[in-house]
Order: sequence, then structure tokens, then C-alpha cells
Amino acid sequence: MISSRLTLILLTLALTVCGIVAVFTTDPLRENGLLGGSFYGRQIMWAGISWAIFFLVSRLDYRWCLRLEWPLYVFMVLSLLAVLFFGSGDEMGARRWLFSRSVQPSEFAKVAYIIFAAAHLVQNIQHADEWGLYIKFCILTALPGVLIFIEPDIGTSMVFVALWLAAMVLASFNWKKILLSISFLAALLPVSWPFLADYQKNRLLSFIDPYRDPLGSGYNVIQSQIAIGAGGFWGNGFLSGSQSQLRFLPARYTDFIFAAWCEQLGFLGGAFIVLLFILLVGVVMKIAREAPDLEGKFLASLVATMLVFQIMINIGMNIGVMPVTGIPLPFLSYGGSSLLITMVAVGLVVNITRRRREDD
Amino acid sequence: MWNEQPKVKTNQRIESMVWIFVGMLLFLLIRLWFLSVLETSLYQQKSELNRMRVTPLLAPRGNIYDRYGEILAQDVPRYAVSFLPGDVSIQESREKLESVLGRHIDDRPQERLSGEVLLANSITLEEVSRIEEANRKLPGIMVETQPTRVYPAGVSASHVIGYIGRISEMELMNLAKNGYAGEDMVGKSGVELYYEDILRGEKGFRRVEVDALGKIVRLLDYHPPRFHNSLALTLDREFQEFCYSLLEGKSGVIIAGDPRNGEILAMASRPAFNPNALVKGMTQEEWQRMVDDSLHSFTSRSVQALYPPGSVFKPVLALAALEEGIVTADTRTFCPGFFDYGNQRFYCWRRSGHGSMNLVDAIAHSCNVTFYNLGLKLGPEGISRWAQTFRMGESPGIDLTDVNSALLPDPRWKRQHIGEPWYPGDTINYSIGQGFVLLTPFDVYRMISIIAARGRVYQPQLMSQVLDNRGEVVRNRNPVVEAQLPVADSSWNVIIEGMKRAVRQGTGTACRGLPVEIAAKTGTAQNPHGEEHSWFGGFFPADVPSVAFVVMIEHGGGGSGIAAQTARTMIEWYVEHRGGAS
Ligand SMILES: [Zn+2]
Repeated sequence: MISSRLTLILLTLALTVCGIVAVFTTDPLRENGLLGGSFYGRQIMWAGISWAIFFLVSRLDYRWCLRLEWPLYVFMVLSLLAVLFFGSGDEMGARRWLFSRSVQPSEFAKVAYIIFAAAHLVQNIQHADEWGLYIKFCILTALPGVLIFIEPDIGTSMVFVALWLAAMVLASFNWKKILLSISFLAALLPVSWPFLADYQKNRLLSFIDPYRDPLGSGYNVIQSQIAIGAGGFWGNGFLSGSQSQLRFLPARYTDFIFAAWCEQLGFLGGAFIVLLFILLVGVVMKIAREAPDLEGKFLASLVATMLVFQIMINIGMNIGVMPVTGIPLPFLSYGGSSLLITMVAVGLVVNITRRRREDD
Repeated sequence: MWNEQPKVKTNQRIESMVWIFVGMLLFLLIRLWFLSVLETSLYQQKSELNRMRVTPLLAPRGNIYDRYGEILAQDVPRYAVSFLPGDVSIQESREKLESVLGRHIDDRPQERLSGEVLLANSITLEEVSRIEEANRKLPGIMVETQPTRVYPAGVSASHVIGYIGRISEMELMNLAKNGYAGEDMVGKSGVELYYEDILRGEKGFRRVEVDALGKIVRLLDYHPPRFHNSLALTLDREFQEFCYSLLEGKSGVIIAGDPRNGEILAMASRPAFNPNALVKGMTQEEWQRMVDDSLHSFTSRSVQALYPPGSVFKPVLALAALEEGIVTADTRTFCPGFFDYGNQRFYCWRRSGHGSMNLVDAIAHSCNVTFYNLGLKLGPEGISRWAQTFRMGESPGIDLTDVNSALLPDPRWKRQHIGEPWYPGDTINYSIGQGFVLLTPFDVYRMISIIAARGRVYQPQLMSQVLDNRGEVVRNRNPVVEAQLPVADSSWNVIIEGMKRAVRQGTGTACRGLPVEIAAKTGTAQNPHGEEHSWFGGFFPADVPSVAFVVMIEHGGGGSGIAAQTARTMIEWYVEHRGGAS
């Protein structure tokens, strides 16, 4: 089990370093230097903070965390409500931030929900076959889920849906309930269409055909595919590649950092990142399988789910197999909230490996 | 205390989830492989398109000179200002440019395929340096030279030199494989068209790298446009302009050339068009007016218009009759003023008759009755065959396009085209250049110059030299002898003596008393559409010809009148300015 933990920590370290490098290569303020307010400088600072918290979390007893189930849940819902009423918006009009764009409650909500779902379902695991638990769980999920959806933050809502389904699968809800949930979601899709903002509708249409509006909503998709395609197998080389260096690629240090990375380092570089992610998810799932208790299994599996779906949605939109939904790539995308939350989640998983040893 | 049952179940589910997760991530990997390995060339291209802006620079053309090095067509550089939009808007940069130039720019901004915008179409050289100085204040602004074609001889040589214009879609389809593109200028007529391959220059281009905002990051490369070859023509620009001026107020043609080598000295046709206006671009309305013009200014009457030749045709018959043994120099014919054939009477142009005369006098006085007799003996096929000997009805071999060839009728032609049999009356008309026969002025000119050269047939030519872009001669075009007609010297003597005598005492006396002796033949072509066409063709000095010419004035009346008088002024000018007494 020590090797699992060490592997996990090394993978996390590797990905954090890749993230700082990636931000460095796409930094529009690179010339300002490490301490001059450059993005990579700030990312290094955030990496330091995140690693400190990572070690802190990995030393906490996760079972103690699980006891915070309800306070966390209430705090999550309240912070999402606060965003709804007091949040500051971005250019597109989506309200996702609190305290003048420094805190993003939907990021925090993902981890809070993971802890809540793990605690709640494990406590009631003996009622797993009953409709009562299913309905209660659905309602408790829907509340934060809808709040995030109407921010709107479609990417995070998709992660929420994935977590919800994964939690039910883990709790051994029977397939009828899971199928019912999926069909309910499918039925909800056309109903939710009118509630989408115009730019979101455009993005979804552009996903189907990016050349419908090549300079508008299709622009991101087209430019990121060009960046990745132009990188080829070997890439254009570190700090070269006209798509990212000449600013054709939008959001190149956040949502489309993967495309910028691939333009420079090619298929090799991109595959390297994906392989690191596969290993990371594999180790987390291994830890889940070997966790001493259900709580640990749930926590680790849900963290893996969160990671996989964020990776899938982000890289998917970079390579044009997912619509543009504005979700950061764990570890790589510039941004403190995202990195911190990812590290907290991974920290919880490390924590599970410690408990196992103590139990033995 | 632990119930192991849920753990086992959960572990099973965890295991299946692992497969799903790994499957999802592998799917990303596969798609990544497609994008960056299998489709990379496509995306590399798209990436190049993103960052590179290629501006084609129009090719200049070679110059066209006359025989003395005077310019007939030339590219004059015009400076234009283009702009690559980026951080600065078009309007803003236009205002900045105006403040640097200190004047208002009238041109409407024109967007190009490369994404550039043409801000100002023509600025002066002084303004160019002002822009270069203020370079830093004008981001994205570039100065470029654009060639503009100028024809100093203007309207007077327009049919020969031709003009250039933007390539049409039809031309593009035919020429695209030779590297022509949508904005290119190509020769549309005349020498400009015929020698397009020689005159055509090489396009240049400029490639710049731009960022996503369109701001120029750097100049990648610059290939200046250039031309390879210029042309020198046999034309004499001053003489050409004078000939054109002689036609003022008339419709007609003057062609003059050197019978000793086939060189064309002047080829004026009026009315004509202004090539400078055409090149500058005209409005739809102006263009339509030119095309609809009832005077057919675009038609080069020298080589495209067909006229009945009238009596200028007679030397063909005289020579034919001599060579076929129908007559000798001494054979005398009596002209009572008319000629009866069957129950039809054909008149001589002099109703009172010419009396008895030999062939020399018949040519000099252009006696119709004599030629009726000769024509009937030769028959229509005989006349046509001899006309062909004078290169009529064949491609004239001159370096111009869209040249018409003569209509030489015979019974077969009449059956095919008119559906009637050939009557002897048709032969009689044919013998004096009337009826169905139609010639271009250039056909008549060739006949005259073959007579002047006593049967030596030179290929007519407008081009004399090909020069490179430094003005060095690359190629000389030497005279080409196409044939030496197998005609007895004595026959030429008769024809030439007849033409000399025509000027001395016959129908061409308008050209008498010049410092140089002229041999010439008049012609008056009846024309169903109005006043007769007036012809005058000849050469001088009569014994050692250095210039052969033909003058044709539409509706000019009798040949001894206006055409001969015009020819006289032309000869006077030529002898005074170019010599030619020898
Ligand atoms: Zn007569």
C-alpha cells in the first residue's frame, strides 16, 4: 500500500510541475518574471499553498471529515445561493464567483458533494434497495446541481451528474433506479434548452458544426484543433507554435491549455499528460478497491470520477469531441481554486491509504 | 461489526468503473492520435493560413518602343498604401494617414483577399517618403508600387499597340495554368495581346506573419515583381501619329511600310479608342458607349474591315494577263466607253471612252473596258488564283491577332453562299475590284509592297527586337522572305510603269510634282451603303522603293480625290522628316 501512496504523490507532483510549465509557456505576462505578477509566478504560489493543504488534508482522518457531512452540505448550498444573489459575473454573464472573482463556490461544491454523498450513502447503505433513500438522495443532489446549472456552469453540472450516477452505482442501487435517473436526465435536456443563454446554445450548435460560426462560437474549437493538429507528432518545440504564441488560441492558459501544450510538445506531450492521468485515476481506483471501509471506497471512487469527467470534458473540448463548456483541466489549467480543490480531493485519497495502514 | 456484503458489491462496481474510466481516457488518446498524427498536414496548413498573409504584387509589363526607341507603351509605377487591420481600425488608420499626408484621401478603402485593405490608390513619391518617416506612427501600413500602363501615342496607335485590362473569366480559364490569377492584367488586343508571353512580367509577393489580432509580427519574405522583356517595334511613332492626324474627321486607314523587308512603319486606323482611358478603368456607362459606338472605334479597319477594292485591284489582273500570255506589253485595246456582253452593257468610268491604248496606259488611266476583257479571259478562278499569289485571302502573317482575310469569290463560292450560278457579269465586276470581292486595307498594302519589291514576298512584321529588362537586345527579328514570285521582269516593268504614269498623267496626278517619284494606283470602290470608298496605294521612290503605302478613306469619293491628296501630305511629311528620296 505504501507504493500506491507514493505513486499517487509522485504523479501529483509530476502533474503539478507540468501545470506550471504549461502555464509558463502560455503566459501572456511571462516577461514580468516570477515575482512581477506573471501568471506562472502566481501558479507557483498556488501550487505551494495547494501542496501545504494537500499534506494537511492527507493527515486528517477522512472519517472525521465525513462527520461534517451536513455542515458541509449546508455551507455548499448557502455559498451557491450567495453566488446566485451576490456573485460577480464573467464576460459571458455567468455568475460563478464570490468576493470579486476570487472564490468559485462550484469548485468547492464538487468536493463537498463527494464527502456528503459518501457519508450519506454509506450511513444508509442498508436501505440501498429502498425508493425512499433514492428519492431523498436525488433531491439532495438536485438542489446544488440545479444551482450550479443556473449559474450557469454547465461543465461543473456535468461533473455533478457524473458524481451522482457514480455514487448510486457504488451504493449498489439497482439498475432500474440508475436507468430511471438517466432517462429522467435525457428527458430534461430538451426542457432545459430554453433556459440556456444564447452563447451556450451557440456553443452547443458549434460543437455539432464549428464552421457554422467560425469567428464566433466555433472559433475556440477550430483554433484549438488547429493548434493540436499543427503540433503533429513531435510538436513545434517548447515556446514555439504560432497558434498559442501568436494568440490565435483563446483561453490558452486556462481552458485550452491542453491544445497549447500539444502544439508545442506534439502528440508525445499530449499522450504523456493523458497517460499521467490514466495512471492517476488507476491508482486512485486501486486505493478505492483496497480501502478498508466503504467510506474510503466511496470517497476515492468519487474523486476518481470527478477527475475523469473533468479531464474528459476539458480535453474532449480541446480535441473537438465535447462541446465548449468552460471547465479547467485538473493540475494544468491556470487558476488557484481549481488546483487547490483538486489537491484537496487527492489529499483525501492519500489519507485513505494512511488509515488502511493504521487499521492493519 | 462490518457487513462484508456491500464491500464486495462495491468492489465489483469499482472494478467495472475502472474499465469505463480507462476506456474514456483511451478514447481521448485515440482522437488525439487522429488529430495530431493522421491529420496533421491539414491542420498545419490551416495554421499557416492563420498566421501568414500573402499579398500578391502585380507584375509590371515590358515596355513597347518604336523603331527609334520612342515609347509606345510603358509601365509607370504608382504608389499605393495598403493596411493590415489589427489593433487599429481602418477608419482610425485612415485618419492617421491623412494627418501624415496632410491631405484628404478620396479613395474608398478596398478589401483584398489577403485581408489587407487598400487605403489610398495613388500617392506621390514625396508622400511615400513622408510615410516612411512616420513609420512608427502608422502600424500596419505598407507602401507598395502598382504598375500602371501608359500609352504615350494614345489614340493614334491604339489598334496596333492594343491595350491591357483585367483578366476576364474566360481568359482565366484558358490561361490559369500559366500562372494567371484573378487580379492580373493581360493584353486585350494588338501587340499587347499578340506578344503577351514576352511582355508579361513576373508577379511578386510579400508574406508577413501576423498575430491573432492581425498585427504584423514580422516580414517573412518579399519578392519584388519584375518584367523580363521589352519589345521594339518597326513602327515609327511620329509618322504613325502624323498618319492618324491626317485621317482627322474621316473614317479610314493609312498603312505604310518598307517593301524591302516587310517592316510596318505606320498603321493608322480611325476612328480609334483611347487606351489610356481603358487602362485607367472606365465606368460601365463609358464602356457601353464605346462598345455601342456606331463608328466601330474598336475595329482596327486596317486588318479587320473588309472593303471592295475597286481599281486598286487592277494590277493583279494586269500581271495575271501578262503572265498567262493573254496580253503583251504592246497589245492594244480599244475603249469606246462601254463594253457589251450579251445583251448587257458595262461602262468604262470615262463614258466618252479611252480610245486605243496599251496595258501601261490602261493601268495609268484605269480603263475599265481593258480590264473587262482581261478578266473574262482569265475567268474568276484565274483572278482569284493570282490574287492569292499576292497573299490575299490567306492569313497575312502579321504579328496581330483577329486579322480578317479577303473574300475572293468564284462560282463555287457563289453557289455555296448565295445559291446562284456565276454569271459572266460577275466576272466583269470582279475584274475591276467590284462585286463580291472584299479586301482589308492590309491586303491591298501587301499587294502594293509585293509589286514594289518586284515579286519578293516578305513576311510583314511589327516586332523588330526583343530587349531584356536592362534594355539590351536579346533577339533581333530579321526579315523573312516568304517567296519570290515567278514573274517575268518585263511584267513588273509594265505594272510599275503603269503606276508611275498614273501619277504623272493618269488618275493619280494629285501626287505629281513631289520631290520623289511616286508609283501608285487609285481606286474608287462603289459602296451600296453610300458614298464611294476612296483608295490610293503606291510606293516611292518609284524605281528604288523604300516605302509602300495604302490610303483608304471610307466614303471619300473618287480615288484621285481625297485618298490621293491625303497620301500626298503623308509623302511630303515623310520625305521632309525621314528623307526617302533615295
Ligand atoms: Zn476606258
